[in-house]
Amino acid sequence: MLFSKAYVRKTKRGSVIKVLKEHYLRDDIYCGVPGCQRCPEHTTTLSAEPRQTTAVRSPHYIVPDTNILYHQIDVMEHAAFVDVIVLQTVLEELRHRSLPVYNRVRALTAEPARRFFVFCNEHHRETFVQREPEETPNDRNDRGKPFNRRRPIRRAVEWYSAHIDSKRAVVLITDDRANRAKAKDAGITALSLRQYVESLSGFPELVDMVAAVGGDDDDDMDASAADKKFVYPEHLSPTQISAGLKSGAFHQGVLNISAHNFLEGSSMIRVNNEEVIVQIIGRENLNRGVQGDVVALQILPKSEWRSGVSTVLEEEVVEKDDLEEPTTDAATVDKTLDKALQEPATEQELKPTARIVGIIKRNWRPFCGTIDASSVHAGSTSTQMQSVFFWALDKRIPKIRIRTRQAQSLLGKRIVVAIDAWTKNSRYPAGHYVRTLGEVGDRATETEVLLLEHDVPFAPFSPLVLSFLPEEGEAWVVRDDLHLANREDFRSWDVCSIDPPGCTDIDDALHARLLPNGNYSVGVHIADVSHFVKTDNAMDLEARRRGTTVYLVDKRIDMLPGLLGTNLCSLRSNVDRLAFSCLWEITPDAEVVSTRFTKSVIRSKASLTYDEAQARLDDPKMTDSVSMSIKALNMLAKKLRARRMAAGALTLASPEVRFRMENDSQDPVDVELKELKDTNALVEEFMLLANIYVARKIYECFPECSMLRRHPKPPATNFEDLGKALEPFGVKIDASTSRTLSDSLDAAVDPNDPYFNKLVRIMTTRCMMQAVYFCSGTLAEPDFWHYGLATDIYTHFTSPIRRYADLVVHRLLAASIGYDKTYSSELTDKAKVKEMSDVLNYRNRMAQQASRSSVELYTNLFFKGKTVVEEAYVIRILKNGCSLLIPKYGVESFVYAAPVPNQPPLLALHPTMNALTGAGPDGEVVIKLFDKVRVQVTVEEAGVAAAQRSKLVLRLVEPNVPGMCPVVETSTARPLGGAATTPARTTRPAKKPKRK
Amino acid sequence: MSTKVLPGQRLGTTAEFRAGSGTYVRDGFVHAAVVGHRTLVRPGESADPAGAAPGAGAAAAAGADAAVPPTLAVVRDRHATAVPEIGSIIIGKVARVNPRLASLNIMVVGTTPCTETFQGVIRVQDVRATEKDKVQIYRSFRPGDVVRARVISLGDAKSYFLSTAENELGVVFAQSMAGYTMVPISWEEMVCPKTKVIEFRKCAKPPQQ
Amino acid sequence: MSRELLAPEGLRVDGRRPPELRRLLTRVGLFAVADGSAYVELGNTKCLAAVYGPKEPRTQSAQLHDRAVINVEYNVASFSSGERKSRTRRDKRLLEIASVIKRTFEPVVMTATFPRSEIDIYIQILQLDGGALHAAINASCLAMIDAGIPMSDYVVACSAGFASGTALLDLNYIEESAETPALTVAMLPKSGKLTMLNMESRLHLDHFKDVLDLATEGCKSLAESLDEAVRKACKTPRPI
Repeated sequence: MLFSKAYVRKTKRGSVIKVLKEHYLRDDIYCGVPGCQRCPEHTTTLSAEPRQTTAVRSPHYIVPDTNILYHQIDVMEHAAFVDVIVLQTVLEELRHRSLPVYNRVRALTAEPARRFFVFCNEHHRETFVQREPEETPNDRNDRGKPFNRRRPIRRAVEWYSAHIDSKRAVVLITDDRANRAKAKDAGITALSLRQYVESLSGFPELVDMVAAVGGDDDDDMDASAADKKFVYPEHLSPTQISAGLKSGAFHQGVLNISAHNFLEGSSMIRVNNEEVIVQIIGRENLNRGVQGDVVALQILPKSEWRSGVSTVLEEEVVEKDDLEEPTTDAATVDKTLDKALQEPATEQELKPTARIVGIIKRNWRPFCGTIDASSVHAGSTSTQMQSVFFWALDKRIPKIRIRTRQAQSLLGKRIVVAIDAWTKNSRYPAGHYVRTLGEVGDRATETEVLLLEHDVPFAPFSPLVLSFLPEEGEAWVVRDDLHLANREDFRSWDVCSIDPPGCTDIDDALHARLLPNGNYSVGVHIADVSHFVKTDNAMDLEARRRGTTVYLVDKRIDMLPGLLGTNLCSLRSNVDRLAFSCLWEITPDAEVVSTRFTKSVIRSKASLTYDEAQARLDDPKMTDSVSMSIKALNMLAKKLRARRMAAGALTLASPEVRFRMENDSQDPVDVELKELKDTNALVEEFMLLANIYVARKIYECFPECSMLRRHPKPPATNFEDLGKALEPFGVKIDASTSRTLSDSLDAAVDPNDPYFNKLVRIMTTRCMMQAVYFCSGTLAEPDFWHYGLATDIYTHFTSPIRRYADLVVHRLLAASIGYDKTYSSELTDKAKVKEMSDVLNYRNRMAQQASRSSVELYTNLFFKGKTVVEEAYVIRILKNGCSLLIPKYGVESFVYAAPVPNQPPLLALHPTMNALTGAGPDGEVVIKLFDKVRVQVTVEEAGVAAAQRSKLVLRLVEPNVPGMCPVVETSTARPLGGAATTPARTTRPAKKPKRK
Repeated sequence: MSTKVLPGQRLGTTAEFRAGSGTYVRDGFVHAAVVGHRTLVRPGESADPAGAAPGAGAAAAAGADAAVPPTLAVVRDRHATAVPEIGSIIIGKVARVNPRLASLNIMVVGTTPCTETFQGVIRVQDVRATEKDKVQIYRSFRPGDVVRARVISLGDAKSYFLSTAENELGVVFAQSMAGYTMVPISWEEMVCPKTKVIEFRKCAKPPQQ
Repeated sequence: MSRELLAPEGLRVDGRRPPELRRLLTRVGLFAVADGSAYVELGNTKCLAAVYGPKEPRTQSAQLHDRAVINVEYNVASFSSGERKSRTRRDKRLLEIASVIKRTFEPVVMTATFPRSEIDIYIQILQLDGGALHAAINASCLAMIDAGIPMSDYVVACSAGFASGTALLDLNYIEESAETPALTVAMLPKSGKLTMLNMESRLHLDHFKDVLDLATEGCKSLAESLDEAVRKACKTPRPI
């Protein structure tokens, strides 16, 4: 049964390495074709009667080659493709080339309904192709002739053709013309993907989805020939780049395009072991780099350095459609653009500037966006193929040219497009249509868009994941015989939970009890999610992939299936629940005497809302045990908080809002700012305490691999602008320690404006670094410092239902108290913990941004059809406008100096002061940072033509600069509550994260 | 007749057999410990395969006295190595003599040649069974003599203690001063066939034909 | 884990299925000088073992009055692995493996038969492709049998690992270096007793039984092969 072909190969990677690999050839690998006469019965996903098309008359199976799967994965994922045989050779090559694409193919092969069958041709005795001696295993890096992977593919197809009965056929799909020719010689049917797709009936959109990779495709790329005159500098070859990187001539960095200006990028590179941020300005220098690409950079001579540009540039403003006349118009546009970029700058303002010489790794992903209506041939109703432009919602992405037959029907739709290539003679990248999401402006569509854009996995949980839920389902109860082992029974204790109203995923509960010695026994009880989610099962992997629950305005994307999150793990009142308890003995002066951790069973006596808890707190007549324990907790929390504040913990602010929704339509009818109550602080205080003590405990037991959370000290440069802006107010910001910062924030008060302090805090928050998870073994102990909380060590333990990090910490803690003696090695693998924390940081960031986008979306919905004049504060001054914050709605938006695009600006940057000046009716008007202004708020509809989301438009009303607000219709501004005449309810689908 | 057995293989019960060399007993069964031939030795017979082989048939074993079960041994095909044990007959060459003892290099244990030599000594009191007090080493062994002896104890750290106090034990080969192989003429004399000089040795009784 | 050790089709990186051993080649009695010697090739892992003894101890102090002493010297040739790596005799890792092998054989060899003597086992790994320890034990066992040293049973070793939710038998180098938890088991095939169980990584207890069962299965099938090898070696007496 085993045939062995051991061979020794040599690879050159600096030094000679002997590679020993065995390769067993088998004859128990079957063809996967049902009803095959030659193979014994075996399970297969292929169907017995595959499809016939006009190009291939007999029923056939499809064998795609590597390039097809690599470039055309979107097409292959289309439901039209079934009965596909994927060769092992192809899969292996694919994995080397792109892991994401490989995973997508794997997902297809794992789905029985798609009927993708993997044939292990490399291990089949008859289809194995021996490498020729001069062929080297690596395609790159080697001087030898690369191993031609097409040979084994053809061999496998040949074998299939001979193997299966004459009624059925096997078709090789390849876009490589030479390969097709050789296949024909060998008597194999071979087609290009385009040929094949065109022969399919019933799937017209498929043709659009075929990626335009060029080169090998025999269809002429007529459209790309149109603007041959625009030529980018050639990219350097990988060998040239690696040589340049080695010699120090080039630097490697991740390209980061400015969100305000798509022709301005920056990248963090290392020069002489120092991290330097270089800017890359202009189309020529960006040289086809796309946001997120890993690029090779060459620093330009000092004479070509530019100053930092603070211009907001939106592509639609500066560029006309250059589909028709690409040379003339674009050139002039570029000139004006360059002029804008080449403002004279003083010597000191010059920043290192670089240009991109090559792309090391593309970071292309599918983008959501819309078709540029002006690029669609008007009046053409036919389904003729035409080139149109696509705008991604992400402003940092250039517009993408796609070829489609359904341009008309795609107008006004949110679609997904993937970039295929960006050749040097094409001004814009070429891409292909992937799928349609829905109507622009539709709430469901837009929500899906923002989830996609932030890479939030939001598909429903798969049956496999759900199979790991307890079998009893809703009927699951704590059973003394099963669950009490190694658990303490706290069911008689007066435990209660305090949460926002409508909260269904209660992960924490508290209790306090007076001990005979006058101290308090205080406990924080956290839902024992790790009891239900065992390491490495499908549910765990899914939760790890999601990383966190994502809270949107109208819905919640759960990390764990609802049964766990809102029922079995949720510490509801009056039911037995498993918990992980953190118990302290605390003196009345809030000194911790002793700490203990244990798994437990609790029975919450009451699930209170913040308001209910507050009521119990405020009512001296309430003397029942739960109220008394809340009172004790509050007393202790106040002392703990005072101590924390004294140590320098920061109180920061963010303009968080919530929406009041109309009952049925889910349209927001009111916006209100979030309020903080005493009880919020109470809960928060004890959660912090638990997190800190848990962090200490796990770090003590697992110094190398604990998952902790740190908040780096912000560099002083972050505060430079803010400090300058606050100078006129006599406020100094000292951020050298969180203590000094906290003090200076407390001192920043403007007696005339109570909102001033909050504003300063909001601004300070923006200067902060992100708090991140990290693996304790990767950093030195002093770096564990949590700046915002002013504690030497911190982690997340208290919300395992909605954060994966907490689940990891639960497992670590269970291991360190000896509860879980059989923890898996992954838990203590430093590299794995580090990798996991990186992923979680990314997921958290994305989740945060998604929430913010969701709020933005709803804000726009709220202002739809309204015109409101509101008070606003100036929070950022730029050359061509300023950013404003409207406290009432927590809205931040931009006011352009030139309200009408391409008109001379009405406001100008003051040469010395960080302020904008303009001509008012009563003389000069100056707008400085932190100034209070009045603006008119409207929503600019994202019509069919506009590519971007509908967006909020602010127009300056006061101070009055004529022309800034074309129609000042203050009369249309209605009082806020006025709209809410219909019965409204407060929708609060979710609990917001308590801490950053 | 005999079958090939491998280590760990079960050969029989302790009720049927006694465990001999190359076997061990576990849980009432005799198992093989080395690769070799399963061999039955009747009580009183030598375990030596050369002697055992002709008579050690199954029929012979069955006819043996039921009260004393036959010994089951596993005999190796090739005797790569042998280690002297108490009671085993060895053949060695005299290396040196002094008034108290003769020291030997042991070359063969039983019928197995040793791959390396072991040291053995024949103390003056172990040379013969009678008149031990009158023994003179010089009149019993000379360096270069080949001696058959029996191991009587594992001895001290260096040497096995050997004895020639049996008729069949003693010098089996010796050369005269002139360099000729001598012929035993009595149990304590040998004569040189050329020079006819008589030298004293503790001679071994030649095996009966 | 970037490498996929077990494809969903059920094939491992080298084309084996999870419960399959690599190809085994054995030769018994290669050296005339040694009392017993054997060569084992398990896939690409090649191992040579030579046994000397029982013999006089080299040093008087090393002997025990009631049984023989087993000495094991384990060496890995510098050319055996991908990168050339020369190790000293004092290499702690080699000494540790040697001591593991020594302890594996001590309960099995009937050392009481040879008081005050010693048995030396020299093991040389000629080529390394994973599973060096169990190849070394199997080779030593054959060499011991070849030397005619009485043992209560064969000592057969095999390794098994755990990846992608499945227990894998007889890990090769790629699988070992992917930080797969690997368990090496040495077993007495006739009695089914284990004389050595070696695991240097963490494995969840839930999976341990599967892995152990697979490793003992592997031992059993290896034992048959070794048995075969010994029988064959008996038929062709070696020249002296």
